[in-house]
Amino acid sequence: MPRSYEEELKFIERLSPYSWRIKKGFVPNMKVEGIFYVNNNLENLMFEELKASSAQGLVGGFLPGMKQIANVAALPGIVGRSIGLPDVHSGYGFAIGNVAAFDMDDPNSIVSPGGVGFDINCGVRLLRTNLTEKDVQPVKEQLTQSMFDHIPVGVGSKGVIPINAQDLEEALEMGVDWSLREGYAWAEDKEHCEEFGRMLNADPSKVSLRAKKRGLPQLGTLGAGNHYAEIQVVDEIYDKWAATKMGIEHKGQVCIMIHSGSRGFGHQVATDALVTMERAMKRDNIVTNDRQLACARISSTEGQDYLKAMSAAANFAWVNRSSMTFLCRQAFAKQFNSTPDDLDMHLIYDVSHNIAKVEQHTVNGKLKTLLVHRKGSTRAFPPHHPLIPVDYQLTGQPVLIGGTMGTCSYILTGTEKGMEETFGSTCHGAGRALSRAKSRRNLDYTEVLDRLKEQGISIRVASPKLVMEEAPESYKNVTDVVDTCHAAGISKKTVKLRPIAVIKG
Amino acid sequence: MTELTKEEKEIPLIKYEYLDHTADVQLHAWGDSLEEAFEQCAEAMFGYMTEIDKVEILEKQEIEAQGEDLLSLLFHLLDEFLFLFSAEPFFIARKVKITEFDRINFKIIATGYGETFDLKKHPQGTEVKAITYSNMQIHDTPNLHAVYVIIDI
Repeated sequence: MPRSYEEELKFIERLSPYSWRIKKGFVPNMKVEGIFYVNNNLENLMFEELKASSAQGLVGGFLPGMKQIANVAALPGIVGRSIGLPDVHSGYGFAIGNVAAFDMDDPNSIVSPGGVGFDINCGVRLLRTNLTEKDVQPVKEQLTQSMFDHIPVGVGSKGVIPINAQDLEEALEMGVDWSLREGYAWAEDKEHCEEFGRMLNADPSKVSLRAKKRGLPQLGTLGAGNHYAEIQVVDEIYDKWAATKMGIEHKGQVCIMIHSGSRGFGHQVATDALVTMERAMKRDNIVTNDRQLACARISSTEGQDYLKAMSAAANFAWVNRSSMTFLCRQAFAKQFNSTPDDLDMHLIYDVSHNIAKVEQHTVNGKLKTLLVHRKGSTRAFPPHHPLIPVDYQLTGQPVLIGGTMGTCSYILTGTEKGMEETFGSTCHGAGRALSRAKSRRNLDYTEVLDRLKEQGISIRVASPKLVMEEAPESYKNVTDVVDTCHAAGISKKTVKLRPIAVIKG
Repeated sequence: MTELTKEEKEIPLIKYEYLDHTADVQLHAWGDSLEEAFEQCAEAMFGYMTEIDKVEILEKQEIEAQGEDLLSLLFHLLDEFLFLFSAEPFFIARKVKITEFDRINFKIIATGYGETFDLKKHPQGTEVKAITYSNMQIHDTPNLHAVYVIIDI
């Protein structure tokens, strides 16, 4: 007998103005509690989702984010809490905006491809320039067009970086080091990527031929959906000192944001792993609350193979973003008759928001080695953490939060409190509020495009008829999301950026 | 390349729709038989990638899918066609015909009718990242042949 909405609410308890606890018993077998971070505006969305699913019963529909967070709390080997960030929404197995850490020393601990997502190492990077809005404004349309011409976007587009099967093997193993060797990246870029742009345990031999065949033509392409390249200007600086460390000096400074992932390569790696793990679960008698939470013991062959293939996909994503960085630098240099160097087009930082990593954290006063899954969540390490670059040792790790088409984006920095509460993690973006089909029914694409034009945003999009799916109305308010993270103390607002040009699939 | 017959070039009726799902899209396809529902489901997937009426039937491609049960058979049918689109020969189908549907060994042989995806000819729709088992349903009764599949986009 399913519980009524009122009965369900007994398991949800307010912890602070910005967080709620999900108590054990909300779903069966919870090993730890759940927590989610929301402010007043965002909490309505969460509770409505739960209410709708209680009314519907168990037939059809999909699991609400709260239930998914709780189901993750029931996975073997989980420690601390299953965490939902302010942009959390229903996803495949794990919620999107879900963080969960598993004890590497517990032989039962699992790794789950659903906890990483189909787009492995999807992430955001930000380049700065020494240009101002005034410099760009007169040539904005030409520049936007030029970026659109340089970067292959949308479904079915192919990469322009020449690469053969042997090159791909090397790229999968080397990540940004490959881009550096081939002349597509700068030595300084590497320093400003998580893991220095290379997961060392990557093993291309653990990747199917099918994934490689899907990846080869797509290297250096942006993709479709919510992926984009934007020209942005600094709109607000909240922390002048930290901004200066990132080379952000004043309002109006022009930056470039690129949001993309591992393309068909990563999608296939995830698909392949889900199929294999279904079998491993039966063999090892791993029981989960939801069939979608396919997983394998970290120590099993399937678990190890997935981590090696996932790392190869992560490397693919870094090479992909590096290739597009190269193309952006070319587009800007041509337009301004200068060089990327003279335009000071340095990489501020590159974050991964779909990944699992081995990290050390303190759990109940003890230092533990954990496998931290961040699905739709960004690592946000505090000042002095050994894994962040020298340049950001004093500020904390820069965290890049991409908005949606036409809305603001943010740079945050990691905090000590985030390290304690959320395994050094924070939000990743706005998070969907409307379904794609609903967006398509309720919004008109010409209106969406006109509104962007009114805001002074140039747009080039490969599939204009689908822009309403990505319209700001389809998403949670990114400012609400970021403000919640700031108020809860799990990361700190540093800079706000506003788009002036958008390139999309 | 062998010439396609008139029958092969025939355009099928649309027996599918796209349903609500927060981050992704749910395909709902039906037909007079389970075979047809499966075929329609694959056509629905291709329909999300471009304006499907711009795709002509100029050539055919055959795929083989192997599953362990009906659900995984449907999964692999779609995954095979997604692969045909995502890598060489970058093939987009207007029509899918199942020529062999083995319900005992869970094996399908199917032919896609269409052409090579061409950015100059085919407007870009949305990219399908992966097929998922999420809430996948197959209904097969004398009066109802329908499938539901959520694709990750």
